[in-house]
Amino acid sequence: MKIFDKENKISSLVSTNSNLLPVINRFGIQLGFKEKTIAEICAEKNVNPDFFLAIVNTYTNENYFPEEELLEFSPLLLIDYLKTTHKYYNEYVLPKIERLLDAVMKTCRENCSSLKMISTFYQKFKVELHIHLTQEDEKVFPYIIDLYHNRRLTEGKTIGAYEDEHTSVEEKLSDLKNLAIKYLEPTYDSNAMNEFLQTLFQFEKDLYDHARIEDLILVKQVMRIEESLKTNAAR
Amino acid sequence: MMEENVFILHPSEIIRKGLALILQEYFKMEITQLSSINDLNSFAAISNNLIIVIIQKGLVLPEETEERLRKNNQFNMVSLSASTDMEGVTEGYDYDLNVLASNLEIQKLIQVIRKSASKSKAATVENGDLTQREKDVIRQIALGLSNKEMADKLNISIHTVISHRKNITEKLNIKSISGLTVYAIMNNLLDISDINPEELI
Ligand SMILES: [Fe+2]
Ligand SMILES: [Fe+2]
Repeated sequence: MKIFDKENKISSLVSTNSNLLPVINRFGIQLGFKEKTIAEICAEKNVNPDFFLAIVNTYTNENYFPEEELLEFSPLLLIDYLKTTHKYYNEYVLPKIERLLDAVMKTCRENCSSLKMISTFYQKFKVELHIHLTQEDEKVFPYIIDLYHNRRLTEGKTIGAYEDEHTSVEEKLSDLKNLAIKYLEPTYDSNAMNEFLQTLFQFEKDLYDHARIEDLILVKQVMRIEESLKTNAAR
Repeated sequence: MMEENVFILHPSEIIRKGLALILQEYFKMEITQLSSINDLNSFAAISNNLIIVIIQKGLVLPEETEERLRKNNQFNMVSLSASTDMEGVTEGYDYDLNVLASNLEIQKLIQVIRKSASKSKAATVENGDLTQREKDVIRQIALGLSNKEMADKLNISIHTVISHRKNITEKLNIKSISGLTVYAIMNNLLDISDINPEELI
């Protein structure tokens, strides 16, 4: 693993980590990079390069955490990005996972009760994830946008109280995966199941990185704003 | 299992890439190559890992970062030098490595570091099948009982219930209550008619 910088070619980024493709798409960057560097493509697409690098490096290196000076970009940029990601989950990834799971179910001829349990469990997970995403879109992000524009603290409202923990959603997804791998009777078509599981694995990773970006970058930025407003108010 | 993180900090790309290639050939571990020592600051939050920093001899890590990493991890610093004179381990480093070292010497060094790390860590992770008591506990969890209710019903202390739950999670790698409920049904510890599947919380 390496840390990318502005002078790296954008094509090398994608060949190092192909999971970054949907990530850079969210910045409006698509394939056909030619020899362009990250700095060049960011200038072209009007993307803040520090912001871009903070995101792709956090996605690529599990233990990476951007330093203070890399967190100078506006939280509004980050919120836009996170919202686009939510939309991508809701409109593309979740329907895809469901389609693949349906396909697995269709190949099951007998003793399908375990598979049905997996499907029920998946629905539980989906509902919980949906509640979480909606809470962020409708409560957390508007709170931050308001705080950023109006620079005013509201009694009883802080980011700490707002942002739900991510562990519960992550636990369910990990449990779902383990149950399917370890305890499911193989009464289904293997290829269909593999496709479903692989998509689930990738989603697990994506969701985990998404949560890290919220916890490590967004929450930290907002806390900084809250702190400075508190100090000002005390003066 | 403790995760392993190897950092190679060296201004020379040839050395970074070469060393990473050698290590990757033998060990499946995460290797991060950094050209500037300050880049390590971005990783200061790592905890509970085995960390091996291979650094150009003479370079010193940012104090605060090194302190944090040492405090929260099994931390080992290996100096990498070009000189061939045998002067023993230099102060401030845990091991010395020479650029002329053979593949074998490099492998050996990593094994030594790993061994000392695994020794200092008590291996307590249990394996194997669930005990009858643990199966009883899962059944009660799936039926929605609280720790207190379970303790009363099974005639054991709350403390024991909690320790059973911890062992169950470690053995199965399933954490959520709904996950355990699905496990119980799939493994015939419980009949699906005992619970309402729509209420799998
Ligand atoms: Fe989110
Ligand atoms: Fe979130």
